[in-house]
Amino acid sequence: MTPARRGYVVEEDPQSRWSLPAVTATIAGEAFRTMASGSQHGVEMSVREGRFDWVDRSLALVVVASTALVVAGGVVQVSFGIYSMTVVEAWRAVFAREVILNPNAWQAFAFGTELPEMSTDSVIAWNMRLPRVLVAVIVGSALAISGAIFQAVTRNELASPFVLGVSSGAGFAVLLTLVMFSSLAAYLPLFAAIGGAGAFLVVYAIAWKGGTSPVRLVLAGVIVNMVFHSLQMGVFFFVDDVGVAKQAIAWTTGSLTGTDWEEVRLAGPWAALSVILAFGGARQLNVLLLGEETASSLGMPVERVRFALSGVAILAASAAIAVAGIVSFVGLIVPHVVRTLVGSDYRRLIVGCAFAGPALTVTADVGARLALGSVQMPVGIVTGLIGGPYFLYLMRSQEKLGEI
Amino acid sequence: MSERAPPRQTDGIDAEISDATGSAAGSDFEGEGLVVGYGDEPVIDGESVAVPAGEVTALVGPNGSGKSTLLKALADQLSPDDGTVRVDGREIHDMGSKELARKVGLLSQENVAPGSLTVEDLVAHGRYPHRGTFESVNEDDIAAVDRAVSLAGIEHLRDVEVGSLSGGQKQLAWIAMALAQETDVLLLDEPTTFLDLHHQLEVMEIVEALRDESDTTVVLVLHDISQAARHADHVLALQDGEILARGPPEEVVTEELLREVFRVEATVNYCMNGPRIVPQSAHHDDE
Repeated sequence: MTPARRGYVVEEDPQSRWSLPAVTATIAGEAFRTMASGSQHGVEMSVREGRFDWVDRSLALVVVASTALVVAGGVVQVSFGIYSMTVVEAWRAVFAREVILNPNAWQAFAFGTELPEMSTDSVIAWNMRLPRVLVAVIVGSALAISGAIFQAVTRNELASPFVLGVSSGAGFAVLLTLVMFSSLAAYLPLFAAIGGAGAFLVVYAIAWKGGTSPVRLVLAGVIVNMVFHSLQMGVFFFVDDVGVAKQAIAWTTGSLTGTDWEEVRLAGPWAALSVILAFGGARQLNVLLLGEETASSLGMPVERVRFALSGVAILAASAAIAVAGIVSFVGLIVPHVVRTLVGSDYRRLIVGCAFAGPALTVTADVGARLALGSVQMPVGIVTGLIGGPYFLYLMRSQEKLGEI
Repeated sequence: MSERAPPRQTDGIDAEISDATGSAAGSDFEGEGLVVGYGDEPVIDGESVAVPAGEVTALVGPNGSGKSTLLKALADQLSPDDGTVRVDGREIHDMGSKELARKVGLLSQENVAPGSLTVEDLVAHGRYPHRGTFESVNEDDIAAVDRAVSLAGIEHLRDVEVGSLSGGQKQLAWIAMALAQETDVLLLDEPTTFLDLHHQLEVMEIVEALRDESDTTVVLVLHDISQAARHADHVLALQDGEILARGPPEEVVTEELLREVFRVEATVNYCMNGPRIVPQSAHHDDE
């Protein structure tokens, strides 16, 4: 793939530009620079080619295919539902001048001000269905990035925000907030992050013994998971309102039902920030993959770096959990699939995950929303149904699963 | 013991040139009063090591004698309970982690890398301590990677994935990574163990080239005592965490030492072709 085409693909992709402006800008800028510098460098000078020789065909393929899936899923989501439109109508509604050329509308989406007048089609498309797709994009990106980071930090392919207790900790915090302190619901991501970080710290403390080993970390995560799970069940005990109970169940299974621009505003910035930070930390993640001893003898303050990167992963997971609850398997499966496609270089892996994660969540949400007709399933059930068998297949087909 | 090993390849002229250019003949590297261990019981209990600058020093000893522990302490990968390690007179514990990694490199005994990593990318990781967190590859890094790859003799493997290399090639790639770090002191933990004869020699030739061409101070743990006797300028023999003997190989690697430290009967001859160590029999515990 030529640099020019690389730039073209990324530039022409509206979906990804919304969710991942920074990464998109980085790649686009890189493509531009590569174009500007020309491709006179020989093959033997691959290091010489500068900062972006890592963007390769496999990554471009992942990005393009994922984007296509997200767009296709988005078209389906916007067109179909209880209020039905044809694809053409949906298209018209989405690209209606009264919306996309109206600063008031954008203000309403971005800051939650009052929505200006627009057609019913446009309201449905722009205010109900599109934001749900966007939330799915955000959640998919954030969870995939989170899992990718955790897998490098623990040097274990089985690591994910779920395995390390982050999900259950954040989920518990969210549940507690919903049930006990419902007036503080606006700060859900914050509480989720606190809960996730708390759970991770407990896991780290249990696993710490003059350093941490991947195995101990994962085992400690399983234990903490079980404890938080019990605590979650305990919170259910205090629910007297059926509505709250339903909401709480949706949380623990992971659901995008009823999400709108508020959720986009709530999680979007944090997800974007964590994607940028993860990409910035890609080289540290790569060196961590060489093992603690090597990383340390190369001059990396290993524990500090691991802690900081874990913080980024917790932030990403919490942003996702705060708006969608615990969507299972995304953080585990996506990094794994992307790794088999683009290799273990975290610069590629992070970018790949940022695109492939949304592909999974958006497609899964199509199934969750439309498969059963009038009844909507939590998306976490669908990702679980896709992810579980995939993982079983992996366990059967790969001899060595676990260490990266 | 009557015959001495022949003088090494560095003839008079070479020696004069390297002295004249005065590259300070490597870095002084020493550990003093080191107490190191993993738990309550120290493995090394108050030993001092002075590594001659710009020369090759081998640590030998039976399994569990504390060779690797000593090496890790020298590299500050294990903080000693007591004692200090100094490089060029500065305490390494006071140095920043990257600063230290620009001075002292350590290659561990067992190394793992993602299989899809290319040799070149692995070697480039050796530049980690020379780069700022968000700094990109610069000319120095590229030159260092080129030098390391060529010194390790793996130019033909540059674009090969680490996962598809043989054990020996893998070790050369890892050594190239440590070389790209461009440290004054290089510590190698059993770099030849598990390698076939060809790759063992390749590794030792790299070590000698490092000493001769860039005045690097090399400390390596060797399992093979005759390899130590053949290639090292100095030998430290350890037993139960104690340094029993130190000095040039001819003085350290003797029949008495093999009997005492390694508990084997052997004949040792230093002849024109280097030292010859012929093991005869092992002493048994019940003796």
